[in-house]
Amino acid sequence: MPTQPYSARNAFALTRRSFLGAAIGSSIIGKVQAKPHRRIAVVDWAMFETLLALDVEPVAATELVQFRKIAVEPHVPAQVADLGLRGSPNFEMLRLSNPDLIISSRWFTWAQDNLEQIAPVVSYSVYEPGRPPYASAAQITLALGERLGRKQRAQAYVDISFLELAQARLRVADRTARPVFLINLGDARHFRVFGTDSMFGDVLQRLGFTNAWPKATSYAAAAPIPLEALAEVPKASIVIISPVPPDARSTLANSPLWNAFPAVREGRVATLPPVNPFGALPAARRFARVLTEALFALGEPNG
Amino acid sequence: MVRAISQRPSALAWLMAAAVAMGLCWYQVVNLLPLSDGRGFELNRILLFNSVLPRAAVALLSGAALGLSGALLQQVLRNPIADPSTLGISAGAQFAMTTATLFAPALMDSARETVALLGGLAVVAFLITVTWKRGLEPITVVLAGMVVSLIAMALSATLILANGEYMMSLLIWGSGSLTQQGWDHAQAIALALSVSLLAAFLLIRPLEILGLDDASARSLGVNLLSLRLLALAVAVWLATTVTAEVGVIGFIGLAAPAFARLCGARSQKNVFVAAPLIGAAILWLADGLVQLAAAGSAEMVPTGAATALLGGPLLLYLLPRLRLARHASVSMSPSPVRRLARPLLPLLVILFLVLGMIVSALLVGRGPDGWSVATGQLLDDLLPFRAPRIAAAAVAGAMLAAAGMILQRMTDNPLASPEVLGVSAGAGVGLAAVLFTFPAPTMGTRLTGAVIGVLVALIALLSVAGQQEKNSERLLLGGLAVGALCNALVNAAMITGDARAFQLLAWISGSTNQTTWTEASAALAVALALLGLLPLMTRWLEILPLGADHARAVGLPLQMTRMTLTLFAAGLTAAASLIVGPLSFVGLVAPHMARLLGFGRAHHQLLAAILIGAGLMTGADWLSRIVSFPYQLPLGLFASLIGGPYLIWLLRRNR
Repeated sequence: MPTQPYSARNAFALTRRSFLGAAIGSSIIGKVQAKPHRRIAVVDWAMFETLLALDVEPVAATELVQFRKIAVEPHVPAQVADLGLRGSPNFEMLRLSNPDLIISSRWFTWAQDNLEQIAPVVSYSVYEPGRPPYASAAQITLALGERLGRKQRAQAYVDISFLELAQARLRVADRTARPVFLINLGDARHFRVFGTDSMFGDVLQRLGFTNAWPKATSYAAAAPIPLEALAEVPKASIVIISPVPPDARSTLANSPLWNAFPAVREGRVATLPPVNPFGALPAARRFARVLTEALFALGEPNG
Repeated sequence: MVRAISQRPSALAWLMAAAVAMGLCWYQVVNLLPLSDGRGFELNRILLFNSVLPRAAVALLSGAALGLSGALLQQVLRNPIADPSTLGISAGAQFAMTTATLFAPALMDSARETVALLGGLAVVAFLITVTWKRGLEPITVVLAGMVVSLIAMALSATLILANGEYMMSLLIWGSGSLTQQGWDHAQAIALALSVSLLAAFLLIRPLEILGLDDASARSLGVNLLSLRLLALAVAVWLATTVTAEVGVIGFIGLAAPAFARLCGARSQKNVFVAAPLIGAAILWLADGLVQLAAAGSAEMVPTGAATALLGGPLLLYLLPRLRLARHASVSMSPSPVRRLARPLLPLLVILFLVLGMIVSALLVGRGPDGWSVATGQLLDDLLPFRAPRIAAAAVAGAMLAAAGMILQRMTDNPLASPEVLGVSAGAGVGLAAVLFTFPAPTMGTRLTGAVIGVLVALIALLSVAGQQEKNSERLLLGGLAVGALCNALVNAAMITGDARAFQLLAWISGSTNQTTWTEASAALAVALALLGLLPLMTRWLEILPLGADHARAVGLPLQMTRMTLTLFAAGLTAAASLIVGPLSFVGLVAPHMARLLGFGRAHHQLLAAILIGAGLMTGADWLSRIVSFPYQLPLGLFASLIGGPYLIWLLRRNR
């Protein structure tokens, strides 16, 4: 049952208007709202970074500690409240941050009831099994821009992202002959591989490369895969996306199998800094940039 | 060596199993031919020598090590169901390694095996201290081991969740993968195995004497304590080495010695020869099948998960064939310290304490600006989230307490608890099935799936326990077996490591965070219906602990009574575990607390236990909400941190 917080106490005087906003919002939920929202909370990371990219500062978002470590950019302003784990967002904290709109994704279907008690919920889905996510991330950026009154900003961001990818494609054009494995190391013996329906995989293809992982993945990535699977495409290069588990690095350095892989022997392994694996356009741009840099650091074109 | 087991016809079956395993391994090798691809890389040769062959070696060596470890443990503890997984040794090693990964990553790099060994040794030392006074009585040791292993797994899951790290490494360890990329692991296990084999054979004579009983052993001049400790240390070293190198591989240590004995190995020497051979054959075969199923390098099912799937049915198969000595100590419920003459007033006091606990859980919490006592508008805002979860937790605690009370009175076993029935793990299998079949399941679909899972687990348990109504301890072991099987299924489902797996992990560690009034009121309705009928059964609960003969004498239809009570206990457990996950010891602790407070009569103890259960679970829920706000910790962790220490105290005192 939606609450109708109406008479705010003195301590919450500042938020009286947003309380009222939430009450009105919940009565007209379902209709498209053109009026800009003031206090937006976001539970999904892809939506979170899209908001930051549109210069919308949410009042609350999930797992900020990990976001700053793994997604790194965009920068998270200090005043954004932490809602706790994505797997179990703290509804009390969410309520106390008085959002007038909650942006969610399909992954949070199970929490829909609780979220709707707090504020109107809009849900977008960047990731669908089997569908490359870049195009939908761009569409969702535009949709969010329209909803939040930042239509031009959103259009500009989509355009510049597209442009950046096109420029990166030109830069790496002489290096795309080899297919590329995109992996996260689980431990020294197993990895998680990103397929064509992942953001990394989609960007890779947009840069003109072939994804070396031939099989379908469910929900963007497949795990855990034993290391020797990398031998199936000997001519492929290997791109490791950080973080790398501490014991994996030195174990790999001494591993006969790892050192026997053609990619390792010929120096075709690049380690990227952390990028949000389930992000939207900002993650796509960051990935394209760090990938290009890492490939150039590896040395001369490979034809 | 082979002669020792080939004397029996059933040894033929093992030779065939080994032949099939060899064939599967040969298939992997043939797949790599020709070794050179003509471009000078010779990748296939490297794969053969650094992946396929070491993997076969590790499968054989790990299987043998676990078989020997199980044989040693079973002999030293005189316990036919002891093995590294039932005693919690593997879970202890895994917890030590998880802790080291997060807090001292350098240690994991340099001293992985030592870390695992310390974890395993700590668990065994703990088990021995706790159960020594009871003469290491088999069922007590295994129950304590299972509990320790559940706590260790909950702590590991909590550490992972609280750090928001990848679940992948936890899952890989927790389900034992035999993937290799060199000979390091094989060498480490071979070293431990050869030293241990030597030690085991040197110890054969004294260990055989140990198999008699303490008095005869002492009269023959065997230094009991140091001998037992030495043999235990060897067994733990073997098991933790395997855990450190390839992860947790369940039940080989249980199965191999048991099969060795079923094949006719009588003397200790025969068992020590046969158990490692059979263990090696089982693991090699299981790994061959897993590789065949994975067809090269698709998404893999770790071998440990596959062997754990065999573990549950195996325990069930072994149960009727086990000769369990009846120990008077375990079936003797200690009488209350003092019995209350007027229980009404103390009951009211408990009621007020519990109500006070619920009210403070409703009011006191943390917010962005620190601690606060919610009143007025703030309370109105928070109540829609706090009230259902507190109501659900309290109701779940009450139901678990009632289920525990029924089980303890019915089996006349102070260690009985709802978790032991294994039906809560059945709920997990149902939940997993729903999560992986429907793209975005609603709460209703999840509930339905969990109920179906519980029913299936329950029917399996009853069909085994029904044949053995005379020995209630076997009901508990049957429950353990069902639980082990269900946990293996849930683990296998979690391997994929995507968002659905995170939801399963959240359920396993117990989370009331997403509870809405829909679930809370459903739980409340179930609780009212089931608990409301319990007063009709208090007479049974009063009579059953007096023994089967007594019960028959007063005209109690024993079979029907037990079936009805089991169904009730299972229903209560199922409804509660849907909310708070499979792991909590409230069902164990609450009835004991009620008894120790002096509530001796069944209906008084029941009421008190229900109140205490509700209070304990409310407290655990409150702690999980506030300790690391806004990050929510698993409820199961706090419930087990309350129940675990109590169990230690109970086991030590209970003599």
